[in-house]
Amino acid sequence: MWKIRKKLYGVGAVLLIVAATLQMTYIHPKWRKDYSPEAGGLVASQLSPEQILLQLFGFREFLAGILWVRADGFFDAGNYDAILPIIRVCTILDPHNIDIYATGMWHIAYNFTDQEQRSNRRYIPIALALAKDGIKNNPNTYELYFETGWLWYQKIDDNPSEAVKYFQEMVKKKDVLPAREDLLANAYFRDQKIMTGLNWYFHLYKEAIARAKKDTFYANSQIRDTLESNIDNTIIRMIQRGYLAQKRNDGSYEKGDYDTKPPFNVGFSAKVTVVRPRVLRVTGTWNVLPVGCRIRFIVRDLHYPNALPAELDWNKNDNFNFNLPTNLTYMQDQLFCKDQRFDRVENMSKDPTMYPFDSNHYLLEFFYDPAFGAPHIQDKFGWNGVGMTDPNFLNTQIRKGVRVIYATLELSKDQILMRGQWQNRHATVETSNFKESSPTESMTNIVKVPSLRGN
Amino acid sequence: MPAAIETIQLTKTYKSRSLGLINVVDKLDLTVQEGEIFGFLGPNGAGKTTTIKMLLGIINPSAGEGYVLGKEIGDLNVHKVISYLPERPYYYEYMTGMEILKFYGSLFGIRDEKKFQSLLERVNLAGDASKIIAQYSKGMQQRIGLAQSLINDPKLLFLDEPTAGLDPIAHTEIRDLILQFRNEGRTVFISSHELSEVERICDRVAIINKGVIERQGHLDELLKGARIEIIADDVPKETATKFEGPDTIVSYSSNRLIVDIPEGANVGAVIDELRNAKASIVSVIPRRRRLEDLFVETVGGKNAKKLVVESPEVVA
Amino acid sequence: MGAVWNIAATTVGEAIRRRVLLVILMIGVLLLTIIPSLSVLSARSDDSVTVGTMFAVMRGTSALLAIVLTVYMIPNEIERRTIYTILSKPVQRWQFFLGKYLGAVLSLLLMITLMTVFMLVVYAIFQNHHASRLLSLAQQPVMYWIEMSLLAAVAICISTFVTPLINIFLSFGVWLVGTVLNPLYDTIANNSKSIPIMKSISKLIVSLVPNFADYDTKNPLINPGQPIQNQGLYYFTTIFYGVVWIALLLIIGALIFDRREV
Ligand SMILES: Nc1ncnc2c1ncn2[C@@H]1O[C@H](COP(=O)(O)OP(=O)(O)OP(=O)(O)O)[C@@H](O)[C@H]1O
Ligand SMILES: [Mg+2]
Repeated sequence: MWKIRKKLYGVGAVLLIVAATLQMTYIHPKWRKDYSPEAGGLVASQLSPEQILLQLFGFREFLAGILWVRADGFFDAGNYDAILPIIRVCTILDPHNIDIYATGMWHIAYNFTDQEQRSNRRYIPIALALAKDGIKNNPNTYELYFETGWLWYQKIDDNPSEAVKYFQEMVKKKDVLPAREDLLANAYFRDQKIMTGLNWYFHLYKEAIARAKKDTFYANSQIRDTLESNIDNTIIRMIQRGYLAQKRNDGSYEKGDYDTKPPFNVGFSAKVTVVRPRVLRVTGTWNVLPVGCRIRFIVRDLHYPNALPAELDWNKNDNFNFNLPTNLTYMQDQLFCKDQRFDRVENMSKDPTMYPFDSNHYLLEFFYDPAFGAPHIQDKFGWNGVGMTDPNFLNTQIRKGVRVIYATLELSKDQILMRGQWQNRHATVETSNFKESSPTESMTNIVKVPSLRGN
Repeated sequence: MPAAIETIQLTKTYKSRSLGLINVVDKLDLTVQEGEIFGFLGPNGAGKTTTIKMLLGIINPSAGEGYVLGKEIGDLNVHKVISYLPERPYYYEYMTGMEILKFYGSLFGIRDEKKFQSLLERVNLAGDASKIIAQYSKGMQQRIGLAQSLINDPKLLFLDEPTAGLDPIAHTEIRDLILQFRNEGRTVFISSHELSEVERICDRVAIINKGVIERQGHLDELLKGARIEIIADDVPKETATKFEGPDTIVSYSSNRLIVDIPEGANVGAVIDELRNAKASIVSVIPRRRRLEDLFVETVGGKNAKKLVVESPEVVA
Repeated sequence: MGAVWNIAATTVGEAIRRRVLLVILMIGVLLLTIIPSLSVLSARSDDSVTVGTMFAVMRGTSALLAIVLTVYMIPNEIERRTIYTILSKPVQRWQFFLGKYLGAVLSLLLMITLMTVFMLVVYAIFQNHHASRLLSLAQQPVMYWIEMSLLAAVAICISTFVTPLINIFLSFGVWLVGTVLNPLYDTIANNSKSIPIMKSISKLIVSLVPNFADYDTKNPLINPGQPIQNQGLYYFTTIFYGVVWIALLLIIGALIFDRREV
């Protein structure tokens, strides 16, 4: 009996080794590659113990669903702080739920606003981090490429090459919707790749014709027709805005008579007055008569870390640090121009946590980029601002290949908060060329906006 | 002819928290001849079941040797020709009587339904063959147990308290069955403390107490010698104590004294003593010795101490 | 071997009549049937929530069944003394042990099959009744069956030396540890930042505890995407791995049970 026992001990040892070897060499790597639901670290997921238990037993998707419903509730209740971690946890639990990513990044980028409905753009990097994570986990569907590209294109409204990058990936996916594909052309235009954009239209047009032939479904022919007119418009714009002549680079642009010639002087000037603590009145001139221009206006710490001219480094962080710096101030808004001027009150007094005004010096930035302008404005200014000028604030440095308007002013903490020597005084800063204007003032030097297809 | 069962100094030791190591079965020397009904008697906790389990190889002896049908205990080949009816047995309740027999039969490789049927008839359960065990009475369960123990035509049966908890009619039925076993040439080893049963059917008995064999032998020899029982009332306590002796059984309560002495002892002296004490003699009855007397003689008095060990632990 | 099969068959017969098990099974089936109505939670991921939750319910129920079924199996036989009649027959202890275990495995097969049928019917009614989808969903329960057989081996092995109540916690604990092994291993051993001793410890644990997470292959079923290469090989290897562990545990259990006083 003892002999058999001894043998069995031996057999047991061998079995243990066999099992361990199998696990280490083949099963674990394979499981990790093909079967693991893991997207992020469990430990870092901020779940409560019973939630960890639930998810360990495999109720991940279920749990994500429940949490997601809760997040919506928090939104209705305005409890934004609770939402961010929930969104993150949901994506960890169910990393293949595209809805959570898409809605989550949209919430984060758009819905965190102050009392004046200005969104807190410092959440954008978090939305982008979420987007990158979602793409990593769902690389085979077009949706998150679209959402991310759209975030760059529509919300961030700057750095056009980023939107191009995501839309390019988007159109490679099999499941992309035909109606979304022409977005790439628009992104190319903003990125000054006009010819590439036009060629993309042609490519889509060919596909649309084929589709419409195969299937007479109404939407197919509609897409085809839209593309046709887009191509039409683009070609005319390329000619009228002098794009082609400019490209030829043989002086023919200089000789020719194009809508973008001569460059129009926008006549930018601005004045900022502190009307109440944390409340600024921003006024100024902008000679363009038709509506459609929006000037970006930023108030931020003079030494805001990682700040770039007229923007933040949106792409900076890939981790999910939901805690925004509580001692830094960054406010971004748009100044709507009408009757050749702008006049807006920026009230930052209702959100002292979002705009703490802790440091001593603040930079006020004014920024206009024609690449992002409306088409009827671009008809005069061109895609790259060739038809736009300003004696004081034209800038060709801060955005490569584009002529933009960029002006800065400075205010001190005491001035904004109306403290110290500014206790009873209203600080005013203005550009050196500033001239008071009023809506009724005579309208000289009006930009004449050419209409499409000749006068 | 080898003995059906033979043990030499067979011992089982358990460890108990309060008493330390105790020999539940202590150097047991036992011999059971083939073809006899052997009664294994002892009070609760004497070590009867423990002994049977050792003989069946269900637990291992701590010391000593044991042989069943000439083979050392633990030899599984022997199990083909012996059988065991545990005390208070329990069978899978959802099975019918027939299924029980089929199941146990299958463990021997026996699949003979006719045989099962005849076994059921034999224990008087033919009509209840398709009832499930949960619906059986205690007596029926005991009988299906006996049927089960006959499946392999055993040469040797171990019956652990086969009649415990049964009514008198069931007693008789089971007694008759056991007597039939002997007629069929089987050896039967019965553990019991139901002495009147044992007295009626056993050829030989052993009395075990606290793990030690106190008596062993043919019933006739052990019960040799009649006894005389004297009953008297109004006996003073001092007088009652005078009669205590080695072979005398004395019981005394509310001034009534019962003295039980062996035949040949001095009856006159006892009666004289009672008269001197002015007691009134109720009866003087001579009678045959019974197993109960032997049992009480052997075990009595000594059993005053608590026998049951609480929360015992196993010593291998 | 005849004795082993007969004991196994009896064990199945008993298992399917145990009320606790039936109640657990019923609750499991009930949960499976109401899951489709829960998945209104999220409109588009409807299908993945349904499938994920169904499998999770099935896995949890099966584990509970496996533990409750096995933990009491041998202690009950001893307590009710049915084991004495069996061991007094020409049946080796290991045969009895193996028979009981196989009975547990067969009972689990029966119960998991029942749950699978329910699950697929409900799924086909409420979600999708493409045969190919149903067929691919049916693969996971097979893996669960292997997993639960492994869990039953753990429980029956432990049941040879501790009482059922403690065993419930122990077996459950082993299952839990075996379920988090993969993430644990990933966070510690595959992490360049963790200290070497922790790496060695986690390697040791992974070698000494049967890995239950290996059998949870539902993720690609929930989120169908890239085709998985050599799926068959993976299944085969993990099943083999399970059999190796089961053999090991049964040997240990039988060795202990052989020495045990009953
Ligand atoms: N597993 C065990 N561990 C420790 N002690 C035990 C064990 N089994 C039995 N005992 C003790 O051994 C003694 C003998 O028990 P056994 O069951 O053999 O008695 P018995 O003669 O069959 O009694 P009864 O007539 O009540 O059935 C008892 O004191 C009992 O407490
Ligand atoms: Mg007993």
